[in-house]
Amino acid sequence: MGTVLEVENLSVGYAGDPVCGEVSASVAAGEVLGIVGVNGAGKSTVARTIAGRQSPLAGDVKVNGLLIDPDAVPFRRQVAAVFDDDLFFPSLTVREHLLLIARGHSLENPETRVDEELEFFGLLGRAHAIPDALSSGQRRRLLLAAGLIRPSSILILDEPEQRLDPRMRVAVGARIAEHADQGGAVVLVTHDPQLLLAIASTCLVIGDEVRELDPEHGASVISGS
Amino acid sequence: MSTDVSRQGRILSAEIVRFTRRSARRYRRSRSSLGDRFVDAYSWGLGIGVSLTIAASFVLALRNEIAGRASTSGSIVREQWLVLPEPVLWTCLTFVVLLAVGNLAGKLGPLAVNGPESSWWLPLPLDRRPMVLPPFLRKTALAAAGSVIAYVAFSMVTAADRNPLEHLCSALTFGAAAVIAVVMAAFKQLGLLGRWTGRIVSAALLAACSAATLISASPWPAALAAVVAVGLAAVVGPRAGRVAGEELVRGGAVAGHAGASLFMMDSNEVLRALGAGRKKVDGGRAARFYTRPPRGPLGALIRADVVAFLRLNPPLVPPVMWFAGSVALLLVEGGLPGFVQLAVLVIAGCATASGMATVSRKTAMLPEIDALLPLHPALVRISRMLMPCLAMAAWMGLLSVVLVSLGASTPALIAVGAMAGIGMGAGSIRAAIRTQPDWSAPPVETPFGPVPRAQLGSLLRGLDVTILAMIPLMVALYLGYVPSLVAGAQLVFSAGIVLVVALSRPKHS
Repeated sequence: MGTVLEVENLSVGYAGDPVCGEVSASVAAGEVLGIVGVNGAGKSTVARTIAGRQSPLAGDVKVNGLLIDPDAVPFRRQVAAVFDDDLFFPSLTVREHLLLIARGHSLENPETRVDEELEFFGLLGRAHAIPDALSSGQRRRLLLAAGLIRPSSILILDEPEQRLDPRMRVAVGARIAEHADQGGAVVLVTHDPQLLLAIASTCLVIGDEVRELDPEHGASVISGS
Repeated sequence: MSTDVSRQGRILSAEIVRFTRRSARRYRRSRSSLGDRFVDAYSWGLGIGVSLTIAASFVLALRNEIAGRASTSGSIVREQWLVLPEPVLWTCLTFVVLLAVGNLAGKLGPLAVNGPESSWWLPLPLDRRPMVLPPFLRKTALAAAGSVIAYVAFSMVTAADRNPLEHLCSALTFGAAAVIAVVMAAFKQLGLLGRWTGRIVSAALLAACSAATLISASPWPAALAAVVAVGLAAVVGPRAGRVAGEELVRGGAVAGHAGASLFMMDSNEVLRALGAGRKKVDGGRAARFYTRPPRGPLGALIRADVVAFLRLNPPLVPPVMWFAGSVALLLVEGGLPGFVQLAVLVIAGCATASGMATVSRKTAMLPEIDALLPLHPALVRISRMLMPCLAMAAWMGLLSVVLVSLGASTPALIAVGAMAGIGMGAGSIRAAIRTQPDWSAPPVETPFGPVPRAQLGSLLRGLDVTILAMIPLMVALYLGYVPSLVAGAQLVFSAGIVLVVALSRPKHS
């Protein structure tokens, strides 16, 4: 399968100071790259940089051979990212938020697709609630639904397991694996060794020095053994 | 083909914006009755009407006062070694205000998106123009309308000989100039002109508009300025969707923070909001000074506070502008009434002092850090006061030197001014560490409606002692010399304010 994401000597950080070592990696279609590391290692910063949410200090990130440009329409069409940004339109319902994404990505039968996602994420009963009326976990489900309802070449997820109950964690893991099986590439930042073992193809351990390991060793890094 | 695709993207984008707005509107309507909406409209109408009436009566009173004044009578200045013709002064003032409008527009971002829009709209693979253009046009129209209304009032005070139509023409020129200032800020966001080229072009256009506003009250300058404004907006319009997402988010974040702070009537938060944004902290400044071994924990803290003050780039332009503006008002031909001159000095002093407490304003958000230091909170507060007090003492001292050279008072005024500056610096710290009023407490009933408890007290905290610190100085200026009683009062006032600020223990909500 062709390479979707190429990261070469990527340095990430704030105000010119790198937060971790240089990152180099590639993810092919159908692969899941796990990113692990201790708190503050720079995992989310790496993910945000790959998603174009912040500028790299140095190095290149290419998606399908093109340098990332978060303002370019093709980039936005190819890259889906879910971070822990709890920002919602205060007067739009859960359903309307998903409908916005479905319509914005020109999905066919957007209403049906939205209903399917609502059912999958257990939000059908809360479809007409505004985000403020949701629990923290339900808001997380809504963000994940927004990331998964749309088509993308690469899906970037920052700790998707956070705030989810165990049953939903397993279900989300299966959805991510399904996305990869259908030819999508995935970058998964996680602290969950089981999720990593279940779906990751390779694993990057972020720290002062960045190492590439197999998921079994990555899971043991998370567990601290 | 690509044009067609882009057109489709624009249509879809406009549909997304409409869908969001329609849903939001439907939700709001479902939550409010017709009666609620009537009460809202009534309250707004009444509020605006009362404000306009108060403003109009103030403007008319000031106009009569200025029109009826005798030349130089009542002025605190006795030796005008430089006389500024009134039109020159008003032109400069208009220019400065337009620069401030442009600067504020740059901070708030004429092209911006708010938090939810940044999360839900920006990642969509669509043309962003329909997302950012309508708010840009609304903001521009708002800037124009507000500027026209404000300038009518200004024109009535400064150009009493003009008829209503001429006032309106000048105000329309000024409104068009404000639009140019806002649109030039959008030019900057789009990177259409180089950093310095943009600044020079913007300053030149605004300077020309300022002169045109004052010199001619005919419709032609207004028409010309409007044509330029519309022409510039026409350049921005088609390109509005090209502003980098990061810049759209930045502008929206600053505008959202500043807007919410204004709504909560929290001037401290407004300053915090406007102080954020693109400003880069100079992490290397005074590094050598910081590495020298300090004497004890207080020495270490003072050193840290001095370095933090220098690194947070205390803005130099506003203090210089307020200084120049106050001196210019003293030198105006014919002389303004004494009380106006004193009021200008107080306003300039308060505005300058408020910008000096950046470090405290930032550290006040994390009081736990100060609590970790093995120092009495009063010593921490004194350390934090040091640089603002020194800076304000220098500013007030310099202003006093100019006032003495203008014959406003005896040389002893310089010492009184510097002492006042110390009190004002302490006042700025009091303002920066104030806490928000308790919104959960039941409001107090007033003739103007229910007001949150302690709201006014919180608003005035800091400003109160800053003005108090200037009272002896103002008395000395009013008298034209410095009686020893006034000098003594200044010493007591400033020392008292420093002590009060050092020993006060603001409650943390």
